[in-house]
Amino acid sequence: MTDNTSDKIGQFLQGEKEPSSSWVILVIGIAASLSFLVIYNILYPGQDLPVISSALPMFEGVFDSGIWFFILGAMIGAFAIIGTILTEATIE
Amino acid sequence: MDTILSVLAVFWVLIIVSYLLMEKGLGIFGQVTRGLTMFLLEKALGPGSDLVEGRKGSGSMVWIIQGVVWLFISSTLTFIGLWLAHDPVALHSLEAWGYHPVSSELFYAGKFAALFGCVGMFIIGTGLHILPNLLEVNLASEKNAVLTSFAWTLSVIILVIGSQNNEIGPVNVILLGTGLNLVVTIAIIANQLLTKASSTVELATPGWLIIFGLIGNPIAVISVFLSGEYDSGLGQWLVYHLSGATFFFSSIAGISLYSASFGSGNPLWSRTVAGVVILGTIFTINPFGNSDPSMAIDMLGLTSAELILSHQDNVAGSFLMALAIIPIIALSSNILITLRGTDIFVENPDSAGIPEINFGAWMLLPLGVASLFIQTDTLSGTNELVGISNILHLMVIWTILIPLSMGAAIQVLPSVSGRYPLSQNRARLAFWMISAGALFGLVLTMMSDIADVVLIEASIEGQNALSHTLRKAGSVIFYGTVLGSIFHSTNLFSGLYRGSKVSSTKSPSETTFKIDLFPLTSTTTIRKILATGAVLDTKIVPTFESKESGNPTSLHEEE
Repeated sequence: MTDNTSDKIGQFLQGEKEPSSSWVILVIGIAASLSFLVIYNILYPGQDLPVISSALPMFEGVFDSGIWFFILGAMIGAFAIIGTILTEATIE
Repeated sequence: MDTILSVLAVFWVLIIVSYLLMEKGLGIFGQVTRGLTMFLLEKALGPGSDLVEGRKGSGSMVWIIQGVVWLFISSTLTFIGLWLAHDPVALHSLEAWGYHPVSSELFYAGKFAALFGCVGMFIIGTGLHILPNLLEVNLASEKNAVLTSFAWTLSVIILVIGSQNNEIGPVNVILLGTGLNLVVTIAIIANQLLTKASSTVELATPGWLIIFGLIGNPIAVISVFLSGEYDSGLGQWLVYHLSGATFFFSSIAGISLYSASFGSGNPLWSRTVAGVVILGTIFTINPFGNSDPSMAIDMLGLTSAELILSHQDNVAGSFLMALAIIPIIALSSNILITLRGTDIFVENPDSAGIPEINFGAWMLLPLGVASLFIQTDTLSGTNELVGISNILHLMVIWTILIPLSMGAAIQVLPSVSGRYPLSQNRARLAFWMISAGALFGLVLTMMSDIADVVLIEASIEGQNALSHTLRKAGSVIFYGTVLGSIFHSTNLFSGLYRGSKVSSTKSPSETTFKIDLFPLTSTTTIRKILATGAVLDTKIVPTFESKESGNPTSLHEEE
């Protein structure tokens, strides 16, 4: 087997180009999710959403101060530093 | 005899004895001591020493790289501390996880991360390259230098944790961190002294500054304990300033003087003035630092005592601190005039880090004088300026200690890693963001502190809107420092792998390298030619300007 066999398999499986209309599928998916959430609220008014409603209180109070946007930037920076170290070390 | 002079007398005697031992050696015990120390540095580590390769320069590189990571951490902690100063409940949601962030504690953590993580690692890492280079030998143990860097990082992590909660169960966390830190310091001192012992070359002034910086810190602590003043407020204040004068000021003076000369290709402006820095560092009391020595007290596990001074102590302390302005001026002027020898700046890859050294040297004098006022105010018991002591300490860290140590480290890194930083543009951007963010952010915060001090003196209660706005603006501007440290980190890490390679034969600043040809474009001195790395066999090639009038460049030749 040659070294570029895996590349050829990748091309065979995924193709080389992205169809221009593929984003429509994504939009339909997101719209459908939101619609189901609205329908849930109509069918079961006042009922908590499963999983989401129990997870949200964990984040109560988060992002109620501007500092969180700066901390988010610093976290992205931290991941950028870690990512740089990892990718530079393994790029070859 | 008063407290200050009695402690200093012990300190001076120990420093002089150490110097004589380094110069004269240990006589018949010298060979045995060297062998035993070398055994402890490498063989005694057992399989640990086999974990690392021990390649030349690897010790220095590992220390500097970890220092860069601490630069980011310390800037982030300091930024959060600045923010919480005007918005104390900004992170109250973290209380759900049992963490209660307080501005003063985050400043404390930021100072540990900045002083011991960032500055400390830059100082030691750069020193591990400079000293062997000046002595024209290899470092005694590269393996030990690499391994100890990780232990040092662990000690800083413990110190940062201890700054938030000093007592976890029966353990005094900061004291634990200090203990580990001390073990590494002793290993580094042993490594550097063994390196010196293996050389017959006379050590240049920057090298002595580095050595005194390393040995001065433990000697300062020993002096205070030997004189029995460790439990007095004055003794604690003194050990804080002696440690700062030696490990931070003296070491930074050594590495920045070397890097100023190395990067610009100019010889040091004055050897005498550099010598004044050594003497001034040892025989005066450095005023840089907080008026509250609680960091030293916590690190030594002591109980804080009230600062009570006799009239003699007050006079002696103020006088010796005033004298400290002499080495500060000497260091600043020596660096700045050495740099001014040529116009090489950050555009030249050999000179990355020079703008940081330039900036730090400029800030030395104004902040030195300001610190002198703060410390004199504390010593005299007036305590009118205590309110701005913390922010002035942060300014010293972020506009003097970090720029000077980081500039020297960036300057040395290509020599030990073999590659320059990935992008000079990003290095320049990071420099501006760090220096401008720190300077303007902390100046605005200081203005807010001064406004608060004035209002308290005038007995006006309630929050001042202007002060609050200034504090808020200051913290946001300081965020530039966080961004700058991210840019520096990614730039330096990428440079280790993809940066342009250092061409040893063409480096204009490595004075030990041979240059085959020297293009002479204008009148210059032999000293300057030699400073660029030329040797007696270098050919000087006159390159004259053409007197022909210029024409448009033809891009395509007509056939």
